[in-house]
Amino acid sequence: MAHRLTTCTFCGVGCGLYLETADNRVIGVSPSMSHPANEGKICLRGWHLHEVISTPDRLRIPMIRKDGRLQEATWDEAFNFIAARLKEIREKHGPDSIALLNSPRCSNEEAYLLQKFARTIIKTNNVDHGAGVYSNNSTDVLLDMIGVPATTNSFHELAQSEVIIVSSVDLGKRLPTIAGAVIRARLKGAKLIVTGTRSHRVVKNADIFLQNKPGTDSLLYGAMAKVIVDHGSMNLPFIKKHCRDYDKFIAKVLEYDLLEAAEVCGVRADLIEAAALAYAGARSAAILYSTGLEYGDTDSIKAMVNLCLLSGQLGKEGSGIFALTEHNNLQGCCDMGMLPDRLPGYGSVRDDLIRSQFEKQWKTEIPSRPGVAAKWVLSDRGKGSIHAVWLCRYDPVSTAFFGNAADCLEQCDLVIQQHLFLTETSRYAHVVLPTAMFGEEQVTFTSGERRIQLAKQVIDPPSGIASAWKQIVRIAQAMGADWNYESTADIMDEIGTVAPFYSGANYENLAREYGRQWPCTKDRPLGTPFLFSEGIPRDAFKFIPVERLHEAVVTNKEYPFLLVLGHSLYYWHRNALIRHSETLRREYQAPLLDYPEGFAGIHPDDAKKYGIHDGDRIRLRADSGSTVTLAALNHEIRSGTLFMPFFVKQVEHQILGPLKSGVHLIRVCLEKEEE
Amino acid sequence: MKARILNRTDVLKIVDLLRRQGYEVIAPFHGRGRDTFFDTVTDENRDRIQIHLPNPYYPPKRFVLPHIEHLLKAHSSNGGLKIEPIYEQPKRAIFGIRSCDVAGIYHLDRFFLGREFRDIYYENRRRNLLLVNIVCTDPDEDINRECFCMCADTGPASREHFDLQLMDLGDEFMAVAGTSEGEEILTDPMFRKGEESHIQKRTAILNDVRTHFKNTTSWFSATVRYVSQGSILDKTWEIIGDRCLECGGCTYVCPACTCFTVSDRQLGPGEIERVRVWDSCALAGFTRMAGGHNPRRAVHDRRNRRFFRKLASHFIQKELSMACVGCGRCAAVCHGDVGMPSVVEMIRRTTTEIDKHEPK
Amino acid sequence: MNPSENIYLPKTAIVDRVTDDIADVKTFYWHFEDSEEQKAFKKFRPGQFAQVSLFGVGEFPASLPPSPTEDETFFTIRSVGSCTTALHRLKPGDRFGVRGPYGNGFPMEDYYGKNLVFVAGGIGLIPLRSCIVYALKHRDKYDRIQVFYGSKTPGELMYLPNLREWATFAGVECRLTVDRKPPTEEWEGNVGVVGSLFKIPGTNIPVDNTVAFVCGPPIMFRFVIRDLLALGFQGQNIVSTLERYMKCGVGKCGHCCIGVAYVCTEGPVFTYEQIKKLGEDI
Repeated sequence: MAHRLTTCTFCGVGCGLYLETADNRVIGVSPSMSHPANEGKICLRGWHLHEVISTPDRLRIPMIRKDGRLQEATWDEAFNFIAARLKEIREKHGPDSIALLNSPRCSNEEAYLLQKFARTIIKTNNVDHGAGVYSNNSTDVLLDMIGVPATTNSFHELAQSEVIIVSSVDLGKRLPTIAGAVIRARLKGAKLIVTGTRSHRVVKNADIFLQNKPGTDSLLYGAMAKVIVDHGSMNLPFIKKHCRDYDKFIAKVLEYDLLEAAEVCGVRADLIEAAALAYAGARSAAILYSTGLEYGDTDSIKAMVNLCLLSGQLGKEGSGIFALTEHNNLQGCCDMGMLPDRLPGYGSVRDDLIRSQFEKQWKTEIPSRPGVAAKWVLSDRGKGSIHAVWLCRYDPVSTAFFGNAADCLEQCDLVIQQHLFLTETSRYAHVVLPTAMFGEEQVTFTSGERRIQLAKQVIDPPSGIASAWKQIVRIAQAMGADWNYESTADIMDEIGTVAPFYSGANYENLAREYGRQWPCTKDRPLGTPFLFSEGIPRDAFKFIPVERLHEAVVTNKEYPFLLVLGHSLYYWHRNALIRHSETLRREYQAPLLDYPEGFAGIHPDDAKKYGIHDGDRIRLRADSGSTVTLAALNHEIRSGTLFMPFFVKQVEHQILGPLKSGVHLIRVCLEKEEE
Repeated sequence: MKARILNRTDVLKIVDLLRRQGYEVIAPFHGRGRDTFFDTVTDENRDRIQIHLPNPYYPPKRFVLPHIEHLLKAHSSNGGLKIEPIYEQPKRAIFGIRSCDVAGIYHLDRFFLGREFRDIYYENRRRNLLLVNIVCTDPDEDINRECFCMCADTGPASREHFDLQLMDLGDEFMAVAGTSEGEEILTDPMFRKGEESHIQKRTAILNDVRTHFKNTTSWFSATVRYVSQGSILDKTWEIIGDRCLECGGCTYVCPACTCFTVSDRQLGPGEIERVRVWDSCALAGFTRMAGGHNPRRAVHDRRNRRFFRKLASHFIQKELSMACVGCGRCAAVCHGDVGMPSVVEMIRRTTTEIDKHEPK
Repeated sequence: MNPSENIYLPKTAIVDRVTDDIADVKTFYWHFEDSEEQKAFKKFRPGQFAQVSLFGVGEFPASLPPSPTEDETFFTIRSVGSCTTALHRLKPGDRFGVRGPYGNGFPMEDYYGKNLVFVAGGIGLIPLRSCIVYALKHRDKYDRIQVFYGSKTPGELMYLPNLREWATFAGVECRLTVDRKPPTEEWEGNVGVVGSLFKIPGTNIPVDNTVAFVCGPPIMFRFVIRDLLALGFQGQNIVSTLERYMKCGVGKCGHCCIGVAYVCTEGPVFTYEQIKKLGEDI
């Protein structure tokens, strides 16, 4: 028997936990009491890691599609096949006809090698991770406004926060450990303010709940800024020293009107005021939002950061901006440059100086033209121009809510899939490579608090299966590249040379305590718990004025409801890992079992007005289309809105019609459908 | 019980003795920071065994009811179906199991070996399991903030249900046997007869230890009464439910929780394995029936259920054991701070706040 | 090898034949591959259930609709979840797993000399069928027997041939009803919920020295109990079989526990008096 401290593979909190092993099997899991991120608490998913990791239902042998069917092949066959086909397609259609997409669950090492492969061997910038459509706007806004594309403080500091704002994310279901931290902070006296269209468990513990109409977040935060300015509660010394463009920002903020904003947002003006003043007046206050499924649009994020700068809530313990990541390595994949327009470390591919530094390190030229994102690749626009797609642990046919991955992949000449299991995406794959599972390889993940942690190898992978990173190396070698990595520690060393903020994060250092939070450099080997702790450079931050929103989507008599396509909990059931635990499957699949055709969440008061009972068939009609679904009565839904999970593709396409994907807020009318 | 004495320096020799007798000895070790865990003793780690340390949060119940356990294999071929049970009967000794956890194992004995049926898988693991209990005597190391074994009357020193009990008296340790297996161990020459002074020392240490518990939910017995009567306000359960994040942690770490689910997994063509995995009544799907009806849909109903199962006198009478041993683990792993101690406190507060006095 | 019996180990069962009943419902006639197992199993009591294994999918509890007095053993199962759907794919000769019988069953001997009133809704007739056939096999032991049975539509009435046969026995009445009659189906009988049958003139339901068996969906159960109590029945003379999500069937996994009772071992048969005292809503 053995116990190894490692970090979790599910969400971006990066909880510390111990995996118990015996006879090369993972037989148990328990939380680490001392780990700073979770302090002894994990969520239901973590508690069933042992069940998931030990699932016998694994892909063991590579497969190549011959005569229309996936058939077993040898590793050499598979690698040579891939190398040959990639060369062919690159010759025939050009480097940009190839796209490499990975899951935000991939390790830093995998992500780094994949983008290096794309840039140095294929010569394309068409790299992206599957969650880019949710998180890239946060990355861009934060880089622009505060120069750091990540959470500024640490999770355990929430215990010191005097005020916490949770913006539009069901923490209890998506990031339970953070929800717990927030609830416990409240129990100790912090003031908890929650915004968002839907009520949820954390709301039950909130001091102020601003249940704003969908799509009005930027207006809400702008109105809060206006309140702070009207009261003179802004932190002028902070602003003077550290922020640019304050005047431009003020000019725009003064256009906001509290009462008008309250009306459009559908929340009480006095509550907006109370929330704003509490936040500005707090000794330390934190804002939390998600870069996952319940992500904010660019304007909302800008508005939140503006609020933070206005109140000077940066650079001290218990304050800051928490751009929460909902995948274990979303942060890491971005850090590693799995982005079509950024290199590892977030330098732009367009920047000649930065590019030349990489070219020197990698000893070859790399393309300067930004690539296309996953959303583009897997939508109609990708059809015809993308001929090959490499999917590393990514299962877009099951999990991508945008576009139509199945259609696009079908049209490709080559689809490479690296995964643990056969998934729905495999139907379109030309070659499938089984990969090692979490716990079967020593890699690193970077959590949402910038914590680079070792995800340790605790057992051997099933015989014959190699890590995904090793497969990438073999294929690179088959394509003529001189790649030699003995271990993932080597890869991390190389990462340290091209991404300075990882330069101190070698495996030896990471193994000492609980990983290290970047920037972790040779001068700061212990890492950085909260950014700007040693002082903020002059003019480091920038305000960005946000155009005042009048109304996100206007409802009228004909279309009195706002239909929001989204959903928190239910995304997880599409996740390949969740499906391998009886309990997790049962818990996350429940809504699908109760409402197999999908459902539209509706507030019971609204349902009553229409004579609708739980489980009744209802018709939703929009300008773009109409669909029939089942009503799911739920007090969490805001009256006047309807919620629909967007993984039920058929229903989604019916209602969105030609608008197809990307839109997640439209107005509809509702009627009960007779049998 | 006969009290025997051994030198402090000889205590780990008990581990060596058990290993020589063919036991896989499980003992507590330090992890990182304040983490601790039970692990198999090897030549390599034998000297790192800790006597005084925070009680590992991963409960030792997993040595009789594993976190995941293989029950059987089924193989179908040529129209035939072969069903084979998978039995494991390890010979194990847990060195350093705490008194609260000893009570937990006893409770599981009552549950799995009593009631209407005997659980053979549990029996196989329990049969050759030796419990060497170590009494909690070090207030800084042994007693966690959440411990309340005193309120559940399971500690700091078990009175029964262990094979051997060791207690730190300073330069010497006291050893008592609870079973014939324990007595067998005491025949080793490292043990000598105890004196009256040792008994007095033991009493003095225990009296002192009892004053060091940080968590004194003295309202525990009243809670048992109110829970059994079902007279706790719905409002209280709603408040508790509002803070519960349905993670299952409380049930998983509880030494006296027993629920599990069963899952079939594909091993290969025509071959499956059936495993059982810890499950939790905290979860919404725990009682959901095919077809959708769920008698315990609301989270506060499930919270109500948990504490009813833990404390109701009906179960205590039927099982002759209480399903809460006062170890405090549920409090340690709970996101929303609604472990047993907090819930007892909340019930106390809301129940005592109902004052029916009026001025007239 | 081991002193205790393995309560979780299913034994191989073979499908003999399958009949289609109503939509989504099939009856599977089966027997244990091992004749000793079969012999031991046939000693089951009305109201007991068995755990049915579809290896690779899972296990589920199935009521035993046959009376132990009948020759064939069978299950009548609606396809509603993954296990039952997998069962529905079985053909004669296929093998699956069964273990049991479990549960307390109806104490039919305690009811000797009494009138028996059976009230069933929808597939609730399945577990009660065992009692009815048993009672008819021991006709002289019981006084009057009445069966009140209703479904949503005529097409959803279970065991129609049996019902017709039962009505031919002396002192046995079978009254049927449907919630509604769709235009496409034939139906001459009563239209209304099961409780409406009690109000038909000429229906004389004995209350003294009578046991009322009730089985059906939760809503139907509530209303029928109300009607029976209004007629004068006492809680201890109304008996039902409760349905819960079950995983082990032997009182260990915890899923079926309601209040103080584990339904699989202390039930599934409970009197209404006991149900009221369970400590939790069903």
